[in-house]
Amino acid sequence: MGGTNSTNLKLKLKVWRQKNPQSEGHFENYDVDSISSDASFLEMLDVVNNKLIRDGKDPIAFDHDCREGICGSCSMVINGNPHGPQKGTATCQLHMRKFQSGDSITIEPFRAKSFPVIKDLAVDRSAFDRIIASGGYVSVNAGNARDANSIPVPKAKAERAFMSAACIACGACVAACSNSSAMLFVSAKVSHLGLLPQGDPERESRVLKMMRTMEEAGFGNCSNTGACSLACPKEISFENIADLNREFARASAKERA
Amino acid sequence: MAINLDSKTPGGSLEDKWSNYKFDMKLVNPANKRKHTVIVVGTGLAGASASATMGELGYKVKTFCIHESPRRAHSIAAQGGINAAKNYQNDGDSVYRLFYDTVKGGDFRSRESNVYRLAEISPNIIDQCVAQGVPFAREYGGTLANRSFGGAQVSRTFYARGQTGQQLLLGAYQSMMRQVAGGNVELHTRREMLDLVVIDGQARGIVVRNLRTGELETHAADAVILATGGYGNVFYFSTNAKQSNVTASWRAHKKGAAFGNPCFTQIHPTCIPFSGDYQSKLTLMSESLRNDGRCWVPKKEGDTRPPEQIPENERDYYLERIYPSYGNLAPRDVASRQAKYRVDEGLGVGPTKTAVYLDFRDAVARVGQKGIEEKYDNLFAMYAKITGEDPYKSPMRIYPAVHYTMGGLWVDYNLMSTIPGLHVLGEANFSDHGANRLGASALMQGLADGYFVIPYTIGNYIAATKIGHVDTNHDAFKAAKAAAQERIDKLLNIKGKQTADEIHRKLGLVMWEQVGMARNKAGLETAIRDIGKLREEFWNDIRVSGDADNLNPELERAGRVADFLELGELMARDALARDESCGGHFREEFQTSDGEATRDDANFSHVAAWEYTGDPGITGAKNWARHTEPLTFDRVHLATRSYK
Amino acid sequence: MKYLMSGIGRKQLMAITGLLWSGFVFAHMLPNLLIIFSPEAYNKYSHALTSNPLIYIPEALLVFTILLHLVNGIWVTVENKRARPNKYEMAPSGEKAPRFQSKWMIYHGILLAVFIVYHLVTFKFGPYYSVTYNGVEMRDIHRLVIEVFQSPAYVGFYLACMVAVGFHLSHGFYSSFATLGFFHPRYSPAIEKFGYVYAAVVAGGFMSQPLYVFFLAGR
Repeated sequence: MGGTNSTNLKLKLKVWRQKNPQSEGHFENYDVDSISSDASFLEMLDVVNNKLIRDGKDPIAFDHDCREGICGSCSMVINGNPHGPQKGTATCQLHMRKFQSGDSITIEPFRAKSFPVIKDLAVDRSAFDRIIASGGYVSVNAGNARDANSIPVPKAKAERAFMSAACIACGACVAACSNSSAMLFVSAKVSHLGLLPQGDPERESRVLKMMRTMEEAGFGNCSNTGACSLACPKEISFENIADLNREFARASAKERA
Repeated sequence: MAINLDSKTPGGSLEDKWSNYKFDMKLVNPANKRKHTVIVVGTGLAGASASATMGELGYKVKTFCIHESPRRAHSIAAQGGINAAKNYQNDGDSVYRLFYDTVKGGDFRSRESNVYRLAEISPNIIDQCVAQGVPFAREYGGTLANRSFGGAQVSRTFYARGQTGQQLLLGAYQSMMRQVAGGNVELHTRREMLDLVVIDGQARGIVVRNLRTGELETHAADAVILATGGYGNVFYFSTNAKQSNVTASWRAHKKGAAFGNPCFTQIHPTCIPFSGDYQSKLTLMSESLRNDGRCWVPKKEGDTRPPEQIPENERDYYLERIYPSYGNLAPRDVASRQAKYRVDEGLGVGPTKTAVYLDFRDAVARVGQKGIEEKYDNLFAMYAKITGEDPYKSPMRIYPAVHYTMGGLWVDYNLMSTIPGLHVLGEANFSDHGANRLGASALMQGLADGYFVIPYTIGNYIAATKIGHVDTNHDAFKAAKAAAQERIDKLLNIKGKQTADEIHRKLGLVMWEQVGMARNKAGLETAIRDIGKLREEFWNDIRVSGDADNLNPELERAGRVADFLELGELMARDALARDESCGGHFREEFQTSDGEATRDDANFSHVAAWEYTGDPGITGAKNWARHTEPLTFDRVHLATRSYK
Repeated sequence: MKYLMSGIGRKQLMAITGLLWSGFVFAHMLPNLLIIFSPEAYNKYSHALTSNPLIYIPEALLVFTILLHLVNGIWVTVENKRARPNKYEMAPSGEKAPRFQSKWMIYHGILLAVFIVYHLVTFKFGPYYSVTYNGVEMRDIHRLVIEVFQSPAYVGFYLACMVAVGFHLSHGFYSSFATLGFFHPRYSPAIEKFGYVYAAVVAGGFMSQPLYVFFLAGR
């Protein structure tokens, strides 16, 4: 807040630049100074970009929108960590006071076969939409619903469902996973809907369809390292993955064809 | 050109209007729905729920969003909750009470019939969302929990911690994605609408730019729905997301859709204040904090001591002093204005002197830090993350920020604009909140429009209207596409010195100073002049880097800023023409001796609907005509709000 | 079949076969310790095991399961590598660094596969020495073990492989439970700790034999 602790930082950036999905990318180095320690990471990039534009160069493309840590747009890997060093924080909520003057910062896009780079740090995460489309919903048309209080949900279960539903689909789990697996993303939705009575009628078909879509999209398999949960800005629990494994086995056993 | 501002409100008593409408409306045969294409622009609460529901009904829906995924629309960031007249708390709530509170909260500048329908539908929204699996907060017995919000004396707000908007949007998004998988909704992401195509007086399609490839595409349909949100970003600093913009609405406005009450803007009192030149946006801190936090400033100008060292008798708890009965819980517009007065008096705090304290010291002393943590931990953590300061130890610094725009494209009872076939939902329309929106009512309106209003009214339009066949080979499509291309080329070829962001910041400053929390005639006239100059600056000195054939955020931004530069002037003109103070619109000339708003019901009990009369190219002055739709209040008595 | 071809199905198969082998290695390690107490007991135990015709059933099962484990392990790893064609410049660190470096699983796994084959060639199909106790003629496996573990190179190789066993088990044991769908905030940390202890006991037990032979029994 421009408080008494505010300082100015000098930084060495090493940023991934890639013109389009087809072209080969490369790193470019930028020296920046006079970055306020109160600025957010994206505001630091705004400053860099304004300078690039003034110098007649192409600014660094990156996805961002709400800048409040909830829309899930921002998506970069900062010094090897998706969303940077701070736990439970999306890039837009990471502030420069987490860095020291003189630091070198390497900024890369999320890297996964299923998240092709569109330009620079912006990637295509539409595979997540396809996974949701394949089964991440409760099939209920508008107008069919009964009174909301006729479906009681125990408080503890509602809380767990909420914690899983808090996923913002940023893809940090995929970015952090050594196998580019989307299991944490899928499991969060399977748990959210599976824990609630409303999700019960489609419990089996949902998990099978979503997992198959995930595999078709080219994500890897889970090897239980827990890197996904550590990188998750919403700290979605790794427990969901174990639940997903169990739900998948159960649904497979019950499948009739 | 005369425009028709007939609200088409159905007959019958207030309670029967919507039922009458549903019975009298024309229906589209289920088998025929497949033959009708409807375009939806925007995938927030209103757009996603509309797409899902029309897909379920069997229409051929084409949905567009500027984001890479429809789930990123800014509805996702709504924190507090959603109102519904369920009366689960047995505290005397009813459809009528919600209707009454909303009309009164809007300072009597909304249409009774629309607001009543909104209140009537509100319980169905909660049922629908719960059925979809939205994880609302629950009581131990498994029933739904409620909390209270500003402007109401009952507990009718449903919530999912501080992420209600996210959970509601995911519910709508998931329902829409089910229709995408089922082939009823065709989803186009990273597409920005650049123009509306009007043929024979009907909205028949859109021109969009594929933001990935830069390609311009045209899409034809039988009707077009805009659900593209509000225009708070005209102020540069707002709680809106960075991509939120007015372009789709503005293009439609220039093609003939009247703009309703553009000057009605909501300034939210509790936001994390501006801190430095690098700053890109403002972050909201939930209104609920004012339940325990006390607002104050030092009594002495230029008091630079740390807040903890300022003794009690040198602090001015100004809300408690001025509004002894409501104190810190005074409504949004009032609390915002008082904070501004303090800063204007030179009593502001913090390095930029543009903030007031929101102090939890007494609450911590009363219930302990643990008690505060239980209620607000996520908000305190967010504050600490952004500011690097611990709000348990020293008071928060807060300041008002632009949050929501009540104004928007004018719509009738069918949610149809003055262009036949063009429907407008959610924050993008002007309809339900009058001059001030109550907390937790935006989510309610977005979902009401999408799930329960447009599915009926779109059918009525399609069934009752003769819609000829057109496709994108029609000359109107070609012309609109060529115009969009020309505009892009123009932006890229100016090659001036200033970035779009720089000019946007300048516009924001003018808007905030002259068209913000308090307005006056001289200031508004200055604003109109200054905005005109900025527009000239923009079209002569803008520098847009990169090319048009790939992802180019600078080009997107420039196009949006160009539209804000026109909208800003219209807002100032609207504020200038409305010689009264009401809700979020405060004209300094129209106030009581102690600084409260004075409404003029005799002359301004109407909606101002602005018709664009100029050249669709660059605007100069005097490009609008002001029309009015009179507001009549059959059920609610006009009264002055008092919070003392 | 669809299940067995799915990622989770194959991982669960690996978990089951892995747990089976986790049990087997313990059951293998424990009697090995007899070498410290008496050559006779060592040889008699071995004889009792190999002379029982039913031994072919568990042997076949072990061969089958290890092949399944191996094939799936390679298959899964290839898929995982394909899921990230472009490598990162830097790896996660600090608060976000994962506890397990599971990417090494395939490498110790392959090392262990080589080891198992070599191990069988050395011992099961190695030179046949004979010994007679109480009129029963049996293989003197003890003598072979003593001979083999005189070579510092072999002992070194063996020890390295046992370290790999330890690492493989330490991730695999805990991971198997998660893959099979068991995770609980109260119990899983205990399973994880138990996995480490178990891995250390098994690896340590196996290592004690060559160390004992090399340093004490041989000279």
